[in-house]
Amino acid sequence: MNHTFDKVFSIILLTLSILFVFQATQISDSAYGSTVGPKIFPLCLGIILGLLSLQLFYESWKNAVKERITGGPTTSSKISSTELKKFLIILGSALAYVFFLEKIGYMITTFLFLCISFQMMERSKLIYSIIIAAGFSLGVYYVFTGLLGGSLPSFPTF
Amino acid sequence: MSTLQFLVDGFAIAFQWQNLLFALVGVIIGTAVGVLPGIGPMSGVALLIPVTATITAGLPTEAAATSSIILLAGVYYGAMYGGSTTSILLNTPGESSSVVTTLDGYQMAKQGRAGSALSIAAIGSFCAGVVALLGLILLANPLSKLALKFGPAEYFSLMLLGLAAVSGLAGRSITKALIMTALGLMLGTVGIDAVSGIERFTFGQPMLFSGIEFLTIAVGLFALGEVFKTILEKDEEDGQIAKINRVLPTKQDLKDSAVPIARGSLLGFFIGVLPGAGATLASFFSYITEKKFSKTPEQFGKGHIAGVAGPESANNAASGGAMIPLLTLGIPGSGTTAILMGALIMYNIQPGPLLFEEHPQVAWGLIASMFIGNLMLLALNMPLVRIFAKIIETPKKYLLPIIIAISIFGVYAVQFATFDLYLLLACGVLGYLFAKNDYPVAPLVLALVLGPMIENNMRRALTISNGDFSIFVSKPLSLTFLVVAISWLLIPLFMKMRGKNVLINEEG
Repeated sequence: MNHTFDKVFSIILLTLSILFVFQATQISDSAYGSTVGPKIFPLCLGIILGLLSLQLFYESWKNAVKERITGGPTTSSKISSTELKKFLIILGSALAYVFFLEKIGYMITTFLFLCISFQMMERSKLIYSIIIAAGFSLGVYYVFTGLLGGSLPSFPTF
Repeated sequence: MSTLQFLVDGFAIAFQWQNLLFALVGVIIGTAVGVLPGIGPMSGVALLIPVTATITAGLPTEAAATSSIILLAGVYYGAMYGGSTTSILLNTPGESSSVVTTLDGYQMAKQGRAGSALSIAAIGSFCAGVVALLGLILLANPLSKLALKFGPAEYFSLMLLGLAAVSGLAGRSITKALIMTALGLMLGTVGIDAVSGIERFTFGQPMLFSGIEFLTIAVGLFALGEVFKTILEKDEEDGQIAKINRVLPTKQDLKDSAVPIARGSLLGFFIGVLPGAGATLASFFSYITEKKFSKTPEQFGKGHIAGVAGPESANNAASGGAMIPLLTLGIPGSGTTAILMGALIMYNIQPGPLLFEEHPQVAWGLIASMFIGNLMLLALNMPLVRIFAKIIETPKKYLLPIIIAISIFGVYAVQFATFDLYLLLACGVLGYLFAKNDYPVAPLVLALVLGPMIENNMRRALTISNGDFSIFVSKPLSLTFLVVAISWLLIPLFMKMRGKNVLINEEG
């Protein structure tokens, strides 16, 4: 197990809970004089999360020490750099897909996204990738807008 | 009207042609989802919510809700069944609830008895479905009558119990599970407060006024999280798919598995009703029980048919049993039922004791369609086992990007906002990181669904008591729920301290 992640995450959580509690105190009280306004629940949650993040930090620290003493498993992450590169490119193209979706329309963006990620997954048979990507984007678009009466951004707006 | 009358009405609804079609589609997609490695029942159901929402868009609200919940429930138990196919044929469980099936199922397949193992699993699942259905019919009315007597204090404590149960059993570390629960509850507070109309944590962003959409979070964490995991961690595919020679089980097989099926169904059903303990625990318990009762315990692990029949019935019965707290109390006991509940709430239908009064056609239509769905599952799987086994071979190259595209399409079709799509991708990355570091995701989704209701009930109770927190412990039922909730969290902790292994439920 990766204790560094736990440690970093617990610090992030602690910061988050402090910010959350601070934000919660800024919530205005409800107009009618009820004793239980919209503040109480978030306040409690923020405090609980803060305590839990301290506990997590303590646990990960304790486990890390224990493993150092016993010389236990220090498993490094097994992700190879090629897989990571592949993932980042797919994630990046997904972000670009979302960014351009409303600008140049559903069909073109979906088609491009699928082509890129198919080829990223495995570089082979470009023609199949193109056929499947085109089939999916056209199929989804026409079934959704035509048969089901939904609406999707169709073509470039410029 | 009597329960019987309602049930007949329910069947009338379930037999409408579009609902039959929905059940059929749900079961087929569910089986495919269960067979495909990388998507489990939770992500399958989450992915299909937006799709069903668009398909049923033309129907009136109540009919739309019935149809889509029929489809989604079909996906749910279809996936429960489909998971066993890969366990038997490939020795790789499609989801965690069919891990036990690999023990004897794959051995049977090696001996050339894959067909009987698969068909016994189908028959067992069917019987279990029927048992769960009978239980649902018997328990639905009394339970919802009881729940009608609950006040806000009781509801608050009962929901805490639900959260505690899921957190206590999820994942290896209770701290991590509780953190996820707290995060889910916090996400639930974003948006305009329903009671006072005051905006909270919106930072003036109009997108956040209506709160963070549960659907986006669920699809991102489950479906995209799993896709990203498969992209990053290429697992070796070494399993050889076993051949299926004969589909029908022999008479001897049927005789050997009748009792395990009955036992597994009953056991699974009761485990499923308990919040937190889902199909995975049920199948483990059933396997242990069968081994204990068997005259030939040494045969287990070498291809004993009871080792397939019992657990397979148990995990399906558990998924049926899990519908009971959802429908009657409005409290989902697992990740998947939390997603089903979110889907119902999207249609403005609140699961809970009033469901049977206000929307009997939704409740009973679903119950009846579960029976029909199980029948379809049996009818489909006996002849189509070979085809479903082929689905395993779908190349990941095409499958994974298409799942991403479907997630994006689905969320966009329901939300019409790119903000939700960015959130979706972020949740996908987080879902992967959480799963990799043993942070269970199910409690987060459950807490997100339950959060607003917990808060409302808490505030209602406190308003009744004039801000006195002792109302939660002075009411006997509420106190009982709280005590059970606390012990649910503490007992596993104590057991761990004493060095005992605690069974955990990885995926509901």
